[in-house]
Amino acid sequence: MTDLPTSPFPALLVGLPILVATLSLFFRPRGKAVVGLMGCLLTGGLGLIALVEVMQQGTVIHILGGWDPPLGILLRMDSLAAVFIGMTAVVGVFISLYAWWFFRAREATNGGFPLFWPLWLFLWAGLNGLFLSNDLFNLFVTIEVIGMSAVALAVLSGKTAAQIAGLRYLLAAITGSMAYLFGVALIYGSTGTLDLGLLRQVLEPGATTTFALLVITLGLMIKMAGFPFHFWLPPAHSSALAPVSALLSALVVKGAFYILLRLWMEVFGVSITFSAGQLIGLAGAIAVIWGSWQAFMQTSLKLIVAHSSVAQLGYLLMIFPLLILAPGVAAGSADWLSPAWTAGVYQVMAHAFAKASFFLSAGIIIMALGHDHKGSLRDLASRMPMTVMAIGIAGVSLIGLPPSGGFFAKWMLLKGIFLSGQWWWAPVVLAGSFLTAGYVFMLLRLAFATAREKEPFRPVPKGLEVCALLLALGSFLIVLPAEYLIQFLESSEAFGSGIQSIMEGGTYGND
Amino acid sequence: MSVLIDLLLAILTVYLALQCLLAQRLSQSVFLFFAFGLALALAWVRLGAVDVAITEAAIAAGFMGVLFLDALRDFSPAVSENQEDLKAVQNPPSKNATKSLLLPRLALGLGLGLFLLIALEAVWKTPDGGGLTAAAVALLPESGVEHPVTAVLLNFRAYDTWLEIGVILLGLLAIYAAGGINLYRKPGVAAKDPLLRQVILFSTPVLFLFGAFLLYFGKTGPGGAFQAAVLWGAIGIMLHLGGWPVFAVLPRWLGQLILTLGLGFFLVLGFLFMARGDALFEYPPAYAGILILIVETLAAISIAAALTTIYANINQMQEEPKQNESTT
Repeated sequence: MTDLPTSPFPALLVGLPILVATLSLFFRPRGKAVVGLMGCLLTGGLGLIALVEVMQQGTVIHILGGWDPPLGILLRMDSLAAVFIGMTAVVGVFISLYAWWFFRAREATNGGFPLFWPLWLFLWAGLNGLFLSNDLFNLFVTIEVIGMSAVALAVLSGKTAAQIAGLRYLLAAITGSMAYLFGVALIYGSTGTLDLGLLRQVLEPGATTTFALLVITLGLMIKMAGFPFHFWLPPAHSSALAPVSALLSALVVKGAFYILLRLWMEVFGVSITFSAGQLIGLAGAIAVIWGSWQAFMQTSLKLIVAHSSVAQLGYLLMIFPLLILAPGVAAGSADWLSPAWTAGVYQVMAHAFAKASFFLSAGIIIMALGHDHKGSLRDLASRMPMTVMAIGIAGVSLIGLPPSGGFFAKWMLLKGIFLSGQWWWAPVVLAGSFLTAGYVFMLLRLAFATAREKEPFRPVPKGLEVCALLLALGSFLIVLPAEYLIQFLESSEAFGSGIQSIMEGGTYGND
Repeated sequence: MSVLIDLLLAILTVYLALQCLLAQRLSQSVFLFFAFGLALALAWVRLGAVDVAITEAAIAAGFMGVLFLDALRDFSPAVSENQEDLKAVQNPPSKNATKSLLLPRLALGLGLGLFLLIALEAVWKTPDGGGLTAAAVALLPESGVEHPVTAVLLNFRAYDTWLEIGVILLGLLAIYAAGGINLYRKPGVAAKDPLLRQVILFSTPVLFLFGAFLLYFGKTGPGGAFQAAVLWGAIGIMLHLGGWPVFAVLPRWLGQLILTLGLGFFLVLGFLFMARGDALFEYPPAYAGILILIVETLAAISIAAALTTIYANINQMQEEPKQNESTT
């Protein structure tokens, strides 16, 4: 792998946000926000330039310190990493712009939360580092950076509910990290290497590898709030400030999913059984139904949106059973691999755009009404048409109606399900969509209903509404370059690959 | 003989951990945690990892212990002032509640026990992969230092270490985020005990020199930035306790500079060499030794400052409500 073209972009994508974050600490609150926003725009621009660079050059690497792996650490930016970094850049820039107006509007009452900016930049650096990492231990360090900044952001509002939820989030995140680290220690002990590329070659099936995979998967499932470890997500995401909720739901949980996908597909192929994939898929299926049902039952807007995240993350887990080939199936004849991969990547992107928009809209409503009880959404359509439109569009993408990104993801998922013959997942996808339609249409019905009594209503900066609407539109626009994007993704080694599962069973699974 | 020592140590460690969890009072738990940390440090020494042993003793038994004691001081009046709370703490829940909880507890215990057995089996069966020690030793002459651990931390895998320094700074930022308090508030009560102040004054230079020794010794043996940082951080905490809050008297910008210097200089140096066409964190072998020493020293100063500030701020978060009470 060390003979690939070298590029400074991977190093800059991690270094620059942290440099700006460190610099911003020296400024007074107002200056922190200015420097922070500049840093966010810069990081976002850098992410997009790097994406273009990979599109032109193919996979690029950066050998940190000039030391080749396994001793040194290598940053690798292939098309899969580039797409995730590009997505983070676009969503991140919109959320940053929203945060700028959001905190400006609240500055007079509570000081404008200047710490948001350095923490968000650290989080962004951590996410970029995670997508680029090609080293089992370095992945752990990036998880730590992400976890620490995410928890700090979650408690930023200073409210008691947020602090309790944040403490739970911290404990869940640490448990996940420790489980992951335990697995890394076992792998390092048995193979003497941490580089993902080398690990794939030297990893041998056996009790140690299987157990390491088990604890690593467990840790990452806790991190990405996969069922049954979703308990920390709704309170933490719903009690945070609006831009923070958007960041946590749209981007942070995707990090753990990305590692899980990379490790399963690229590294641990030797100890994955067919039933392990089915178990992960089952966890995802339960999450889809349970999360959607819970979202349907909530009475406050942010809790609806947070529970909906649990469900939408479930769809991501449902691609795993499709990517694991039953014994005897050749990878060449498995024509459902590409649709399944496409479904995964598009579900990540569509959810990132739609859910960010949804949480930002919820923030606008809270700012206007002072609370987000769902009953007070009545007559919203006449007072804030742009926000209602954003909720509608994002909701349509979450349900999976054409021609949204969510539709494309779920369509591809269904296609993969039917081509692979694992028909039992199909009803779950449909039921999830129906339940999602239930709570989205309930919200829209309320928004268009006439108000019983006039509630006090504060005007909201237009910039906030524009950001939310553009993000919602983004969840539709991502479909336009689909063909080109899939072609680009196929240049990545992992995309479109499947694992030949091993025959014998044992202690496998995820929970 | 050594097997006997190891066996005793293993039993002692597990015993202390159990006692720590089962202790009736929080203060007992905290002191048992001290002892547990020290037993663990001894175990690391027996395993030949002196670096880890120093860190374990300093962070787990030392720094964490100080934070726990501080939390304990805050808990105790709250519990003893409110008699109902005390009863709730002392009296076990009613028999019905215990019965209904018995089954899930039993299931959880069995599940965890099974998991532990599988984990033990996996650890036991782990083949020896040899690790990267040989590769690190082979490249040692080019790294600028003579101790493989330092070479790995500050040169071969400097990226990980740099990010971890960032995590420590993030920990501090998280405390600010959670407490919503201003940077460097004036301290509360100063210690009045003259003897305590003399002891602190006397031990400050000793700790400083020992830290500096560990830092410099890291070039050739076990030691280095993190170990030195904890000792220097201890100086800051003791001075704070003695009524000399070092960071409160510094100008704001200087305090911030000290806190961010380790992370910032590390990165700026990396970017400088990257601008020359090298990779990030690539040092020319001729200057690697001196550059690593500078990076390590600044990192140690920043981490020590972060530890001191974390302690000082947690201390203030707890003093704040009390001050409010006394004024009203």
